[in-house]
Amino acid sequence: MERKIFLKNTLAALGLAAVAPLAVSSCGKDTDTTTSTTDGTTTDSTTTGSTTSSCTVTSTETAGPYPTKTPSSYVRSNIVDGQAGVPLTIKITIANTKNSCAALSGALVDIWHCTAVGYYSEYVVNPGGGYTSVDYTSSHFLRGRQTTDSSGLVTFTSIFPGWYSGRAPHIHVHVYNSSGTSLLITQIAFPTDVCNTVYTTASDYKAHGTQDTSNTSDMVFSDSLVNELATVTGSVSGGYTLTHTVYVAA
Amino acid sequence: MKIIRLIYRKLIDASSTKPWDQLLFEGSWYEYLLQAQTFNPEKKYNTFAELITHVPNADRLHFLVTPAITGYLKQLNGRVPDITNNIGKTFLPFKNFKFEIVNSDITDKNKHQVAVNFISEPLTWHDIIGNQLLVTLNNEPANGETLTEMFSIQPFLSIYSIQS
Repeated sequence: MERKIFLKNTLAALGLAAVAPLAVSSCGKDTDTTTSTTDGTTTDSTTTGSTTSSCTVTSTETAGPYPTKTPSSYVRSNIVDGQAGVPLTIKITIANTKNSCAALSGALVDIWHCTAVGYYSEYVVNPGGGYTSVDYTSSHFLRGRQTTDSSGLVTFTSIFPGWYSGRAPHIHVHVYNSSGTSLLITQIAFPTDVCNTVYTTASDYKAHGTQDTSNTSDMVFSDSLVNELATVTGSVSGGYTLTHTVYVAA
Repeated sequence: MKIIRLIYRKLIDASSTKPWDQLLFEGSWYEYLLQAQTFNPEKKYNTFAELITHVPNADRLHFLVTPAITGYLKQLNGRVPDITNNIGKTFLPFKNFKFEIVNSDITDKNKHQVAVNFISEPLTWHDIIGNQLLVTLNNEPANGETLTEMFSIQPFLSIYSIQS
């Protein structure tokens, strides 16, 4: 009983004094808060004298790191992510058929293609169903997004795609307008002579050999090759550059 | 002694209030709107459930939307959010995760709901004290003692795997 009264009186007497240190500490830097969290023991509080009775244990720990708005990790020009292959620079121009084929600026361009041996980045499905978890530092290799500049151009750094059974070599393209509305999903085909050179001489491709499906027999390109065939120049040793124009109605 | 890994399924929707949750919500919603168009060119379906039911390969959307949120996972510095030990600190290390779209509707942002499944790094389980699990992270003993963690199993936290 005596102790209670003593505490009560002390609190009242120290009312003002106790508020002041609190105000100071609440304005303090984050590091102050952290220190009191890790080192804040009863002993420390007692030695500070008058503040003892007003102290409470600091709740949990300092918030942070403070989240910042982060763009989708698709947004990058270099999409190689450690995949082996012959360097390929991909230059795609987006033109607008509703504006006399003028360049379309501000369009989002997604591309994706397979590795030198014909695989896409994707989730692995468990034998029992459901997806296998992935490391948060791993990436969606050979997939990327860029926004067209005033010339309607996007540029990606990648590798020459390989091929997989039943399809001619290709790059997928999805074009959106600046507000994200889909304008076109299409694919880009490769000249056969260049493919033959890469697939028979470049070390990452040789074992897989030449493609089993030609552009003319491909189910996607057979009726539209003239629109979808890219220009590809360069060499296995120096890398290749692909240029292509995609026409959209925007 | 058993080695366990925990799983924490963090649900995020329009009612989430923490800044990190809201950023992840916005990012995944925008990316979902982009990517869903691939599977829904004629806008025949509004909901994710309809897409999954009617469109082959629409379940790839889980994977395709993931890059929208990996930047936010990196901001966590390898520590599972929300799950605190008995002294009130986050402690659970993770590297692996599975992102999932739970529900969505291209006509109603309020119906967008996603989940991040955080899968912890292996922990050594020593005992149960009261309602608390006593574990050690795979840390090296220092000065002859190994530091421990105590925490309680809470909603949406479960044991993912066990190894004797």
